[in-house]
Amino acid sequence: MRKILLLCIVLAGTLKVKADDGTKLFYALRTKILTVKDYTADVKMKIDVSFMRVPQLRGTLYFKAPDKMRLERNGGLSMLPKKNINLTISNLIPSGNVTVIDMGPVTVKGKKLRLLKAIPEDDMANIILTKIWVDEANLVATRAETTTRNDGTVIMDLDFGHYTNYGLPDKVTIYMNVKDYKLPKGVTMDYNDETEATKAPKSASQGPQKGTIEINYLKYAINTGLSDDKFGKR
Amino acid sequence: MIQLLHIELFKIFKRPRTYISFGIVTAITFVIQLAMLTDGKGFVNFALSGVNEQFDIQGNILNGYLIAYIILQSLLIHIPLLVALVAGDALAGEANAGTLRLLLTKPIARYKLVLMKFTGAFIYTVLLIVWLAVVALFLSLLLFGKGDMINLKSEAFVMILQDDVMWRYALAFAFAVLAMTTIASMSLLLSAFADNSIGPIIATMGIVVVLTILSNLELPLFTIIKPYLFTTHMIAWKGFFDAPIPYYAIGRSALVLVIYTIGFLAATVWYFNKKDIKS
Repeated sequence: MRKILLLCIVLAGTLKVKADDGTKLFYALRTKILTVKDYTADVKMKIDVSFMRVPQLRGTLYFKAPDKMRLERNGGLSMLPKKNINLTISNLIPSGNVTVIDMGPVTVKGKKLRLLKAIPEDDMANIILTKIWVDEANLVATRAETTTRNDGTVIMDLDFGHYTNYGLPDKVTIYMNVKDYKLPKGVTMDYNDETEATKAPKSASQGPQKGTIEINYLKYAINTGLSDDKFGKR
Repeated sequence: MIQLLHIELFKIFKRPRTYISFGIVTAITFVIQLAMLTDGKGFVNFALSGVNEQFDIQGNILNGYLIAYIILQSLLIHIPLLVALVAGDALAGEANAGTLRLLLTKPIARYKLVLMKFTGAFIYTVLLIVWLAVVALFLSLLLFGKGDMINLKSEAFVMILQDDVMWRYALAFAFAVLAMTTIASMSLLLSAFADNSIGPIIATMGIVVVLTILSNLELPLFTIIKPYLFTTHMIAWKGFFDAPIPYYAIGRSALVLVIYTIGFLAATVWYFNKKDIKS
């Protein structure tokens, strides 16, 4: 009986240490991410949403913490996902006090990562749960899966290269839920070309569909002190 | 032949009614441009409501390219009437004025006369579409500026980069010429049947309106006949603003329109050759 009790104490202690490690890792990661107050980046953006036929967009992406973002395209139109689905990892990890559950090591694409689950203590926060796959060696998140209250689940894959020290990725792929889109044919008076290539794929249900946004960051200018004027409506 | 064409063009452009068409195109274009200048944002917000819910689109959405597309979409329904004003009058107008019999006393083959009337109507159609391009596209670019173009289809949102738009418009206007030439040839055929130009003009519009309704009705009953209606293919110019461009479908539509045009023209020649000219 004494042995079992001792084993339980050791196990609980181990779990506590592990949870503490996970919490430390999460906060260390968040601190690193938050060191970037703003950046300006030359980007190439590819939007892959079933009802959208948008060519690859090149432009300059401006970001200012905590959530200001704008894409400028030399006189062209810019498109960014709306609401809280921001194109930066800092908006996909919970802010404030967080309960972290360390899920232990996982191997993704041959790389050893640590999987953390972060639950914000604020019940009213938009983020309900975030799963983060952390590269401990470089202290960067290579994947984040965030379940939000209003915007469904957003998954972000991050590839790092030149700006690992700042925790800024070279490439980001965002997987998000998108709603269906339809306009009356009487209004649009479509030309019915009857070819599959130009038809929007029909969804099995009228529910949300998956969309992907891929951004390649070509060059960053970090913490240059961007003014808020850059983010006004144009 | 050239002299005949000169005479035909002189007759077309001497008449004040010819210029009414250019005036109407200009007036409608101005009205749409004015409406877009004053309330364009509301229109764009309504049209983009499905996309705006999920994406934040910034920039000059209401640019000259989009305005020109809207004008083209609304005007290509009215332009058949303007084409019919000249083509429908080509033979019936001569008969009404009592000059057709006099004209045919000259040593000119009847088929040549029909071809000259058709060529005259074709040149008028080309000039009308060129004028449409000037006021709808170039004036809109002047008023609203450049930008990436958006094209809203019933199930898709298409965005075209501004550097990639102009050649599409060139092809779209070229296709519009082909579509309107089909109308001109049909109107000429109806003109051969009549001795008064009002009849062919109204008949042309009647046919275009009825067939356009049939082409746009989403009823299984009409699905079978839709591919055979020339009005279904007249809007193929829109295909140039799609991604990817459905070249095969546009080519097929162009072929249908060419077949119709040749068919109408051949029928006109056949009927006019055997017609008893009484006036």
